Amino acid sequence: MSEAAKDKGARRASVKKRGSVSSLGSHDVKAKETTGKTKDSLSTVSYLDEAGHQEENARLVQMENTYIMAGPSKRFPVLVVTDILKDVLGSYLQEEKYDAELCRQMTKTISEVVKARIKELLIPRYKIVVLISIGQLGEQSMYLGSRCLWDAASDTFATHAFKNSSLLAVASVYAVYFE
Amino acid sequence: MGISQRTEAVGTRRRLPRRRSGDLCPAAQRGQAMEEDQAAEETAFVVEEVSTIIKESVEGVIGANGYQHSRVHQWTNNVVEQCLSQLGKLNKPFKYIVTCIIMQKNGAGLQTASTCFWDNTTDGSCTVRWENKTMYCIMSVFGLAI
Repeated sequence: MSEAAKDKGARRASVKKRGSVSSLGSHDVKAKETTGKTKDSLSTVSYLDEAGHQEENARLVQMENTYIMAGPSKRFPVLVVTDILKDVLGSYLQEEKYDAELCRQMTKTISEVVKARIKELLIPRYKIVVLISIGQLGEQSMYLGSRCLWDAASDTFATHAFKNSSLLAVASVYAVYFE
Repeated sequence: MGISQRTEAVGTRRRLPRRRSGDLCPAAQRGQAMEEDQAAEETAFVVEEVSTIIKESVEGVIGANGYQHSRVHQWTNNVVEQCLSQLGKLNKPFKYIVTCIIMQKNGAGLQTASTCFWDNTTDGSCTVRWENKTMYCIMSVFGLAI
């Protein structure tokens, strides 16, 4: 009961913040550990409790709905963004060997860099989600899939997979138009 | 039970303006404040709700199955599909992005991170790392308000 109340309070606190979020600082991700229902599985939930970093002296603009039916005036440039992904993944990971600690930092850094590069494109009214995964190349197999509930006419994604001799990285950018 | 209460509120109450801290006297107006909280919760991204949906989807589809290369494709599809349809049933004004990574457990590492550029007041994300004896499954859900 008290836990639920506490969670609620935390949620309300996080609701007040505005700006851009990242998981760059490790302190801001609150991880909760719960054992699953069956005895042989385990699950961990993590989410942002406090917003990662605020834009300093950010223009705290509260965007409002446009009520325009005709979709975005400028569409999200998928090819340009794919090129950014290729460029960033290549330049950061070409020479690297897989190392857990390095890659932990690397996922965060790369996702920040990609987000910054996309923001430089100044595409109005698009919200951006950048997801980077780096995995070790071993004997194992891995499957990565995603599906979205959105308006396919305006919203889109870009993705790029990178591989060198010891690691593989998959970067996806989802762009969601704020109507 | 909590959910049915909330859906009832959707029909009967108009959306109240978001509360600013300190503009209500707590003792006298607690009732109103609670209503506002509830109204805000209608349209907010509630992590507990979403993480429950994710866990149920993964448990339901994969459960105690061992890693089988031929079925992973199907599992990924089903987990994501089921998760998305449950999220849709919440009837909230969100667009959702659901991603799922399934990896066989053999000692190899995997790191994943995300950054978002969005409105912190309305949008939210939730990631669940699930594992059984033979595989890891990492699900991320992002909810972006319309």
